[in-house]
Amino acid sequence: MTFDCKDLERALAVPELLPDAREHAKVCDACRRELWLWSEMSAAAPGLREEWETSDLWPRIRQTLAAQQKAAKPRGLGGRFGWRGDWRMMAGIAAVLAIAVSVLIVRYSQPAPVPAAPQDSDFLTEQTLKEVERTEAAYRASIDKLTRLVQPKLNASENPVAIAAREKLLVLDSEIASVRSTVSHNRFNAQLQADLAELYRDKQDTLKEILQRAQ
Amino acid sequence: MPLAMAAARLTARSDADLIQASKRGDLSRFEEIYAAHAGRMKSIAFHLLADRADAEDAVQEAFLKIYRAAGAIQFDSGLAPWIYRILLNCCYDACRKRRRQAGSPLPDEPPAIANNVPLQVAIRHALARIHPQYRMVFWLFEVEGFRHSEVAAILEIPEGTSKKWLFEAKRELKRLLTESRA
Repeated sequence: MTFDCKDLERALAVPELLPDAREHAKVCDACRRELWLWSEMSAAAPGLREEWETSDLWPRIRQTLAAQQKAAKPRGLGGRFGWRGDWRMMAGIAAVLAIAVSVLIVRYSQPAPVPAAPQDSDFLTEQTLKEVERTEAAYRASIDKLTRLVQPKLNASENPVAIAAREKLLVLDSEIASVRSTVSHNRFNAQLQADLAELYRDKQDTLKEILQRAQ
Repeated sequence: MPLAMAAARLTARSDADLIQASKRGDLSRFEEIYAAHAGRMKSIAFHLLADRADAEDAVQEAFLKIYRAAGAIQFDSGLAPWIYRILLNCCYDACRKRRRQAGSPLPDEPPAIANNVPLQVAIRHALARIHPQYRMVFWLFEVEGFRHSEVAAILEIPEGTSKKWLFEAKRELKRLLTESRA
């Protein structure tokens, strides 16, 4: 094949033609420069890579993932029934259980069971639930107060711990919102109430930890 | 079985193991994925975002998404293309967010290339002036060292298109560099 300057472009696109192009470049300065530039671009390109050390990036990711795992993890017996939760919440749940057990005992221990007035039974459960909800509202208000105290300090800081804490709080808030939404459709579910209590406890602990670090 | 095919299957299996272990909450296995890819991911993110902190944020966001989506991954083309595709999406999101922010104007037209700068600097300037798709292929292939099959999987384009875009990128760069050095 007779290689000409106008064939160079095609040779760059089709590697099989490159030997001909190189042969031609031996006697053509313009094509030699073009070929040199073509291969030099590839040779110089890896030097454009930007590398730097970031010792805190993995800890940040790990901390966020751990917080997400913790928030999403199904709780064991202790967590499920609020052993480690707020005592008022536990008292509310214990009351619900006590009432349920009492009703069963009364119903099955008497030879001629006296049917309980459905209104009374409903009223008692409703009353206990209201107590639980009142407790939750009070607990939430105290955590909101703590949040207002901590949030400005947290927002002002850009250190990795503060960033990780911010992300953890975001995850917890999102979990709390999700569980609260489920609870609103199933108010009598003691397990959901206990899950919610556990999340609030996590959030409270996190806020306290941030406050202690700041002091 | 050809060696390359066996190696690819082995990689796919170890990728699958890593992801499965990560899904079970084994963060030390997930750290292996981080260790293998974070450097290259930061470089790509920096290329797109031109800011180290933003690049790190994008890489962090990408890893959180990778972890969340680990159960859904298909291992047909391996773990790496999937990881880098997620990263690119995070970077594009960051770019869009940056543009939406008040008082953040669109980037200026890149300056013309001076005729006396080292080739590497000139290439960097010239890259800013070529088509973004060509630029991305050039970056992944020539700078980051991916193969055309990997570039194609990351960008979800045919392998032939990856080769064509690389050629177009180099042709454009050559034109810009020749003009600047004339």
